[in-house]
Amino acid sequence: MAEVTKIMLAGEGGQGVQSVAQILAEAADNEGREALYIPNFGVEQRGGVSIAFLQISDERIGAPKFDIGDIVVALSDRAIYRTKQYVGENTIFVYDTSIDIPKEDLPQNAAKILAIPALEIAKNELHPRVFNVIILGAVVAATKVVTAEDAKKAIEKKLGYKFEQNPKLRELNYKAIDKGMELV
Amino acid sequence: MSEKLITEEKRVFMTGNEVVAWAAVAAGAEIMYGYPITPQNEIMHYWTRLAPKYNRKFLQTEDELSAGFTTVGGVMAGRKAFTATAGPGNTLMQEPMSMAEAMRLPTVTIVQQRGGPSTATVIYSQQEVTMTTFGGNGEGLRIVYSTANHQELFDYTIKAFNVAWKYRFPTFVLGDGYQAKMRESLTVYDPEQKGIEFVPAEPYVGKPGTPGVDREPGHYRNTYNVEEELYEVLQGYFKDYAKMAEEVAEYQAFDTEDADVVVLSHGVVSRGAKEAVEQLRKEGKKVGYFRPITLRPLPEKELKELAGKAKKFLIVESAQGQFAKLIKDVIYGASVEIVPFFKPGVGITTDEIVGKVNEIL
Repeated sequence: MAEVTKIMLAGEGGQGVQSVAQILAEAADNEGREALYIPNFGVEQRGGVSIAFLQISDERIGAPKFDIGDIVVALSDRAIYRTKQYVGENTIFVYDTSIDIPKEDLPQNAAKILAIPALEIAKNELHPRVFNVIILGAVVAATKVVTAEDAKKAIEKKLGYKFEQNPKLRELNYKAIDKGMELV
Repeated sequence: MSEKLITEEKRVFMTGNEVVAWAAVAAGAEIMYGYPITPQNEIMHYWTRLAPKYNRKFLQTEDELSAGFTTVGGVMAGRKAFTATAGPGNTLMQEPMSMAEAMRLPTVTIVQQRGGPSTATVIYSQQEVTMTTFGGNGEGLRIVYSTANHQELFDYTIKAFNVAWKYRFPTFVLGDGYQAKMRESLTVYDPEQKGIEFVPAEPYVGKPGTPGVDREPGHYRNTYNVEEELYEVLQGYFKDYAKMAEEVAEYQAFDTEDADVVVLSHGVVSRGAKEAVEQLRKEGKKVGYFRPITLRPLPEKELKELAGKAKKFLIVESAQGQFAKLIKDVIYGASVEIVPFFKPGVGITTDEIVGKVNEIL
């Protein structure tokens, strides 16, 4: 059976985790690989913890959801509590350093826990809007499921029309990916 | 205005709802009638974007009763008409679909199952199996395809129109919220280029000529005065249904020959079941896989045969035994032990199925 990389992204509604998952999925698809992305959606349009399940493989993917992720990214305190159950002994757990949470409340069984200052960098060095793109860069670096090049192409595909109007946005997004990759 | 949406075979990456809209256009559907309900809304959204470009039509009605009855009307006028719904909308849809059964109308309905009973969740379930196969005050004279992935959503939505118009039974494509909302790859194609011939639609009413003089009068009835008359009509329907069943029933199976445990599932759950069985086989365990693609009619012969060979059936579904009930009815009297694995309204992962098989092996 082919290797499947299982990625979970979770955050507050509006933080952009679904966009990250979709860009990664499309990047993998553009490479001719198989990707399956499913948002966990509730009745609320905003607020609540938003979770994205993403799987990438060289072969067709089975069940849309999984029990344990290879990488679990949580971007709010609620998201950490919510995603703990998807962390196993081989999971890389990523969270933002800005989240104020007691150490003992982090998943204790993860293979590795990475605290990254994505929000801080977004605010101080780039732009709050590209917070999720920094996360995207971090996931790309941590999992190597797609190349940075292909991730950028997928962003271009999704936001190209905005970049046309304002080329600075492109630069900002690409910088955010690179920054994110450096964090891991 | 281009004539065809899909001119050559190509790989695409999209949500299941978008797949359905594309497939309906590719299948030559002429009009969609609908009322919004999550998780099928985007079928309507995508259809309304595509329809004007390819000279198709759309009518948003005031509720699902009306969406169903207008679909019935569209079909009677000789149009390839369809609708899409979910959950409580599917409940309302049963009244018009019962009429479609009575009058043998080839309606096509896409169902994206959500949690139940009532409003429950907008997310996912397999809890609309009983309703979609045997809903309404009728006898389940329907055809129901339960799809598992986007390729099948595309293939069987196209097929549904043809099968409906060929056999004249209301036909359903039974998806779910996961399939509706998830994105994965599939290959889209122009059915005619693949050699799929479209069964032509024809009007039930408003045909030229004088009834009884130039042509047979059209008697499309959902009302009878005499018990015996209804009984007689239904006997004809059952005969047609049985004949159709032999040609239409579909399934997938592997590794069942020497299997002690056969995992039975349908729809999106069968993806995890397939993966689980493959994994267990690699470990040398005698496990098999069986998945009906049609829930109405079921592949009865194959199920009966299998029930005479296997020691245990593990029936896995995201409902409290709605699929199991259909299976049990077919295999009644067989010695196979039935082990349920029911998670109503909740997704089932590969690991969970592996765990359950190991527990009972």
